[in-house]
Amino acid sequence: MVEIFDIKFKNPVFIASGVFGFGLKYKSVTRGVGAIFTKGITLKPRVGNPPPRIYETPAGIINSVGLENPGVKEFCNSILPRLKKLNNRIFVNVAGFTIDEYAQIVEEIGEGVTGFELNVSCPNVKEGGVLFGQDPKMVGKIVRMVRKRTRRPIIVKLTANFCDPLKIGKACVDAGADGLSLINTIFGMAFDIKRKKPIITGGLSGPAIKPFALYCLHRLKDLKVPLIGMGGIMTGRDAYEFLLAGASAVAVGTALLRDPYAPLQIIKELEVLLQNKSV
Amino acid sequence: MIKHTVKILKKEWLSADIFSLEFNLPGLHPTPGQFFQVRINETFDPLLNRPISIADYEKTRVSMVIKVVGKGTELLSKKKVGEELIVYGPLGRRLKIENKNSLLIAGGIGVAPLFFLAKRLKRAWIDFTFVYGARNPSALVLKDEIEKLTSNVIFITETGGKKSGTALSVLSELNLTVYEIGYACGPKAMLKELQKLNLGFPIYAFCEDFLGCGCGLCLGCAIKYYGRYQRICEDGPVFELKGIEFDGGDI
Ligand SMILES: Cc1cc2nc3c(=O)[nH]c(=O)nc-3n(C[C@H](O)[C@H](O)[C@H](O)COP(=O)(O)OP(=O)(O)OC[C@H]3O[C@@H](n4cnc5c(N)ncnc54)[C@H](O)[C@@H]3O)c2cc1C
Ligand SMILES: Cc1cc2nc3c(=O)[nH]c(=O)nc-3n(C[C@H](O)[C@H](O)[C@H](O)COP(=O)(O)O)c2cc1C
Ligand code: FES
Repeated sequence: MVEIFDIKFKNPVFIASGVFGFGLKYKSVTRGVGAIFTKGITLKPRVGNPPPRIYETPAGIINSVGLENPGVKEFCNSILPRLKKLNNRIFVNVAGFTIDEYAQIVEEIGEGVTGFELNVSCPNVKEGGVLFGQDPKMVGKIVRMVRKRTRRPIIVKLTANFCDPLKIGKACVDAGADGLSLINTIFGMAFDIKRKKPIITGGLSGPAIKPFALYCLHRLKDLKVPLIGMGGIMTGRDAYEFLLAGASAVAVGTALLRDPYAPLQIIKELEVLLQNKSV
Repeated sequence: MIKHTVKILKKEWLSADIFSLEFNLPGLHPTPGQFFQVRINETFDPLLNRPISIADYEKTRVSMVIKVVGKGTELLSKKKVGEELIVYGPLGRRLKIENKNSLLIAGGIGVAPLFFLAKRLKRAWIDFTFVYGARNPSALVLKDEIEKLTSNVIFITETGGKKSGTALSVLSELNLTVYEIGYACGPKAMLKELQKLNLGFPIYAFCEDFLGCGCGLCLGCAIKYYGRYQRICEDGPVFELKGIEFDGGDI
């Protein structure tokens, strides 16, 4: 049991946004974790990027899914009610293409969820996304606008793409964010040497980015808000390292592609480590 | 529960770079086209599981026929009888077998799921013709087994003796008016060309691509089908060939 934002979570292992559908499928996993972050929700439905959308690199994957989602209306009508029935903590990952859109989406969803995770760090869309997340002023504006519309906790999901997450994180906290989550995927590319062209450009995730993610998280440890750490967590030991580096909770992403039950195993392993602090 | 730890009961090389693996998994009711996500190793490189079709299911035994193309399948080929294997599945939509005179067109390792289909057609007393093309005669696998299923079979290779060609080039020898349905699995170039031939009956393509999760979660396996993105792993992997938009990207 952990308490963050004055809310109790059954454990500190969450599901990261975008890698687990809407959590309606492997229900034992959705129910077993501390919280789930939904796939990024946009104001209007999005069809996503053309294939190839995913490519494997050493100990990592590059994805360019491009925020495929049914839009906030459909999400509220047909997905959220089913998700709520699973009776777990739900953070809705919100992706705006203008500053206004973040506030509109949050308002449309209302107070019936645990909180919001503002995605200002998606590397796979042309407008908005990571561009917002690199600019402390812009991020501050988004958080202030959203703050006016909700009393639920606001977590800002930071990027570490060509910017210092500490600066951005500070701006978010000053503007009223309750917590920070990091990191989103980092820019990556794979080349096809036969065709002499890139195969894919997108966001890199998985064990390959773990050391960088840990470093970024640790850099923020003195900010006085809870941090949710993610990036390459595959085992209980990985999760424990993030907690030691200053995270209040962690989220599991890419590990789910390899094993949809991975979070349950990570929770088990982490419990052992937390009980036996002498490791 | 879709995660299974199984023991490899049989492993056999069928050609220089194609091998088969068998394991026991009782209680499945798989259909042709369904596949397993196979864990390669316990380290994280390669990170993702590899999708491999069910090439046969007899009583309680699953068999897979795998071609070594890269890192993952190479490592998989080193597994030995008696070793454990983690597999997730069966995944993919269930295919309804139709009682129609069927034409099966396999290119290369595409033979794997179509062999399973052929066995099921035979079991249901449905007539079919099996066309199977490979690069060279030694790459034609499961030949004897296919011959046991039907005498309506054409093997063709690109380098082979008197007669050479591809699975598609031999179609001209067939009386295509007798078929009511087709099934095809092979390289993308083959499927694309087949689509252009516009045969007068519906053809179902068994599609392959690099998958992420393999089970509908990550949206990584998009294929444009009748104007909309579908997931190969969960909405497929079998799609009507006519509806696939190849220009929408790789399949
Ligand atoms: C639903 C489904 C069923 C499949 N069934 C079988 C089967 O029964 N038997 C079998 O041998 N293979 C099958 N495949 C293909 C198999 O999954 C790939 O060959 C395998 O993932 C390649 O992994 P690798 O690590 O060896 O190659 P990598 O090192 O990842 O790649 C080597 C080369 O192969 C290409 N490649 C990678 N993945 C695929 C792919 N999925 N299809 C085509 N080319 C690819 C890469 O672009 C690269 O050029 C299936 C694929 C799908 C999607
Ligand atoms: C396929 C895929 C889709 C993702 N979609 C989203 C998304 O919609 N919103 C978001 O904020 N992050 C998204 N992410 C980023 C993850 O939530 C996570 O921050 C990142 O992958 C690092 O963690 P990991 O290495 O454990 O995956 C996505 C990641 C992947 C691999
Ligand atoms: S591979 Fe993940 S949705 Fe198909």
